[in-house]
Amino acid sequence: MRRNLFIVAGVLAGLGAGWAGFPRAIYNSRPQPVDFSHKIHADKAGAKCEDCHAFREDGSFAGIPTLEKCAGCHAAPMGDTAAEKNFIAAYVTPGKEPQWLSYARQPENVYFSHASHVKRAGLQCAACHGNEGSANHLRPYEQDRVSGYSRDIWGWQGRPGMKMDDCVDCHRRSARKGSGALAGERSCLDCHK
Amino acid sequence: MTTRRELFKFAGGSAMGLLLTPAPWRLITDTALWSENWPGIPRPAGGEIRTRFTHCALCPAGCAVRARCVGEQPVALAGVDGGLCPFGVAGHHLPYHPERLRQGDRQQAASALAAAIAASTPDRGVAVLDLQPGRTASWTYRRAVAAIKSGVYLAPEEPACAVNLAAARTVLSLGAPLLDGWGRPNLVFRARPDFRLIQAEAIESRTAALADEWLPVAPGSETALGRAVAGEIGAHEAAGITGLAEEQISQTARALRENGLALIVAPEMTSEVLRWNLALSGWGKTVVPRREAPVPKTWIKAAPVIPLAAMRDGSLGALVIDESVPGAHLPWAEIERKLAPGAVVVVFTWSRAGYARHATCALPTAVYPEAEGDLPQAIDAPEAGFRLTVPLIPPPPGMTDPAQFVGALAGLDIKDALRERAGAIHASGRGSLRTYADGKSQAVKDVKLDDFWKALNAGGAWTSGTEDSGKPPKPASITAPAINTDTLWPLRLAVDSPAAAVLVSPLMAKLSQESRLRLAPRTAALHPKAGFEDGARAMLETPYGGCAIEVAVDASVPPGMVLVADRPEIADLRGADGCARVVRI
Amino acid sequence: MNKRYGMSIDIDKCTGCGACVLACAVENNVPPLPKANDRRGITWMRVYKIDNGEEYPERRSAFVPMLCQQCGVETPCAHVCPQQAVELDPATGIVGQMAERCLGCRYCMAACPYHARYFNWWDPSWPAGMEKTLNPDVAPRMRGVVEKCNFCHGRWHRAKERAAAAGQKDIRPEDYVPACVEACPTGAIRFGDLNDPSSEVAAARRDPASFRLLEKLGTDTKIYYHSKRDWVRQIANAPHPGGSPGGKENIRG
Repeated sequence: MRRNLFIVAGVLAGLGAGWAGFPRAIYNSRPQPVDFSHKIHADKAGAKCEDCHAFREDGSFAGIPTLEKCAGCHAAPMGDTAAEKNFIAAYVTPGKEPQWLSYARQPENVYFSHASHVKRAGLQCAACHGNEGSANHLRPYEQDRVSGYSRDIWGWQGRPGMKMDDCVDCHRRSARKGSGALAGERSCLDCHK
Repeated sequence: MTTRRELFKFAGGSAMGLLLTPAPWRLITDTALWSENWPGIPRPAGGEIRTRFTHCALCPAGCAVRARCVGEQPVALAGVDGGLCPFGVAGHHLPYHPERLRQGDRQQAASALAAAIAASTPDRGVAVLDLQPGRTASWTYRRAVAAIKSGVYLAPEEPACAVNLAAARTVLSLGAPLLDGWGRPNLVFRARPDFRLIQAEAIESRTAALADEWLPVAPGSETALGRAVAGEIGAHEAAGITGLAEEQISQTARALRENGLALIVAPEMTSEVLRWNLALSGWGKTVVPRREAPVPKTWIKAAPVIPLAAMRDGSLGALVIDESVPGAHLPWAEIERKLAPGAVVVVFTWSRAGYARHATCALPTAVYPEAEGDLPQAIDAPEAGFRLTVPLIPPPPGMTDPAQFVGALAGLDIKDALRERAGAIHASGRGSLRTYADGKSQAVKDVKLDDFWKALNAGGAWTSGTEDSGKPPKPASITAPAINTDTLWPLRLAVDSPAAAVLVSPLMAKLSQESRLRLAPRTAALHPKAGFEDGARAMLETPYGGCAIEVAVDASVPPGMVLVADRPEIADLRGADGCARVVRI
Repeated sequence: MNKRYGMSIDIDKCTGCGACVLACAVENNVPPLPKANDRRGITWMRVYKIDNGEEYPERRSAFVPMLCQQCGVETPCAHVCPQQAVELDPATGIVGQMAERCLGCRYCMAACPYHARYFNWWDPSWPAGMEKTLNPDVAPRMRGVVEKCNFCHGRWHRAKERAAAAGQKDIRPEDYVPACVEACPTGAIRFGDLNDPSSEVAAARRDPASFRLLEKLGTDTKIYYHSKRDWVRQIANAPHPGGSPGGKENIRG
């Protein structure tokens, strides 16, 4: 009994470290530079996703809006939160771009076309990005310490993920439903560069 | 008290436990991912893709360029009217060239020149040597020099005429690289199906390989062939000099006279070449006067253009060389002889490899695509034109604008010279404006001045349209040809297409290192009979000096010639004679 | 309907200027390799100089642009890859090389009869500042992987994105032009869909004077070369012009 105690204890420790401790250790968590509230902008400003996260004329996606977009409304304080005052003082006035940490930034060799998914397939933003619009704060950015990738694209958080497996799953499901989207047997270079 | 064995059991158990967790597998994958992104592999910058237009400033062709930019940074260049040459395609790498000059003492240069101007006399004059004449900056130099005591404006020998290739049905090219960077390449290729090309050249060059007929003349004998087809010497005499059959020369002469308009083209369109074309009745059709865009009336008082060769030897106390735009590289020996003892030489250049090697003071300038300026007309532009090279990215700090510097020396304010020029062109009411973004052309009369200036800066060009050529000029007199009988220097030195002088990007090595399309720097091509093995080390020697080279055996090069990649140091070695020898080391 | 992208290259028009070589390197983020030679360098597009073997002045030269021939069904490199890092895309006919999957065994380089595959012996590096000029549509490769021409897949992506944004089902042919085709000053290289009978390349395919390289290997390539000069055709082992159209030719050594 005592002989096995340490082994068992070791196994349990290993399991605990691997399942519980490792995810905490492997990810480096940082807050976003500005405490931005999607909920306030959605409710009070009546903004929808595409008002700030827009498409350009040639069909490419602009992603996170630049300072120009924010300063368009926030040249002067519009509310009374400390977060907004800090933002104007630190970014709008000196004209400095906030260094946003993009949760969804894919590796360099991945090619993803927002135009095909949003405009042609009519996918909702929340289907891949989760329901950001209802959040009052931006969740911290968790980044893998070794590979440098965001947890959203190379980790598991119980929300719709953006790993290659998740993309392939969705494509296979919609191909079965007969929606005409790319099925499983497509070329690698369709999504990779 | 735990024993060591128990500790090991604990460790072993944890290892087994860990294997049942994602941890080790995840670490392995992460390490692989890290290796894909480890420091040193650059990540291309993302951003909005914009299209901007400019003109390529790497040679007088000045091809219209569509730049694909990420934000403001060009990442790809393409021609608006067709393809760009290999240099133009990589032109956006030029600002980052390892040979770029980035430091220079402006104060020292300014004070040295000011002292030289104060002490200038007609025997110790102050000159500006403009290696790319015909620009608006050239007019600035001429205006500045007119206001400086004993000031002179010098330029390389200018062509005697412009060429209208589209009017010719037969073209005899005496060694001009007609299909390899001559004139405006996209227009040459557009006109190509409409003329028969006879290439008379010693080397089987790229142009010779694609010409309709190649006449392998003896090195240096192209002049004799030109005179023969113009009727100035007999076919028999020319056959003796060129090594061609007499019948071949007579046939060529007939081909030029009996198949519609013919044109004779040479690497330099000298007055002699013009004389031959006049004999072929080409005036006003295939050869026309060189034209320039209108200039503001106040500029007409500028100093005249004096060819460098016409300057008296040893008569310059100060010389400013404008090497800021890639252009002709005159051999240093030709320039040095014009300098008086103790002369100050200030060179404006982007590169460490040009005259910066010889100058007292070298000042760095902005370079394409950072620099703002306009382009001279290409040799095959029968009309006047005005096109800007538009700055796409800002230059690094510490660069000097040569025209402004020289203008300041003379006490002139020339900040808006380009805008003034555009104003004079607009005021003349002549010609048409072509904009690249929409591909439309409109008469200048229908465009407001502000819009005209904006369009030129956003990608457009003004052309004057065809004008009357007037009476033909008096033909230049026939001079006796110089014959090289020097046995000390048995080889004729030729350079592999002059545009190669600007090695725009380190990617160009793919043409000489990873393939054998062009000669690498410090490589000389010799005929197999010259007695060298491929890759042998040798010295290339000329009356002006020598340099170490590697030999490439090439049967396209005839015995009696050596072909080298064009670089400023080679131009210096070549001098005005072009004779050389290669010795084993 | 599936596309079959191909090229037609007119050797009689190629001046050997090398604009295609440079344009390809610029578009695909190929690094300058100062220590390379013709065996270790990376030139997805390379122009070879061939000659008729005569002495001066009977010597004549020609230039042959050489790139991945985009072999058909029997793709040698795809057959041998242990990683399935190469595959023939049935929708476009392009043989796609995935550097992400490649482990660098270089078996494909040995299998390719056209020597059109190149290995990254070194990590890519550019002179200071030049990395700003990199093309965002193509990922730079690390050392240890093989790469080759993918018919400028980054431009294919951009063309599809433009079509999706404009609500079009199919891309516009003028939106998808590989860098070498765009850069060629003489128009010697043409690109298009071989399955589209009205395209230039389909016309070249039907032209009995067109030939493909190493046809006897049965690689069913999609690059059609053309030359009127007999000695060029001989070097390329081209069948005699006037043979049956469509390329079903006599197998000669």
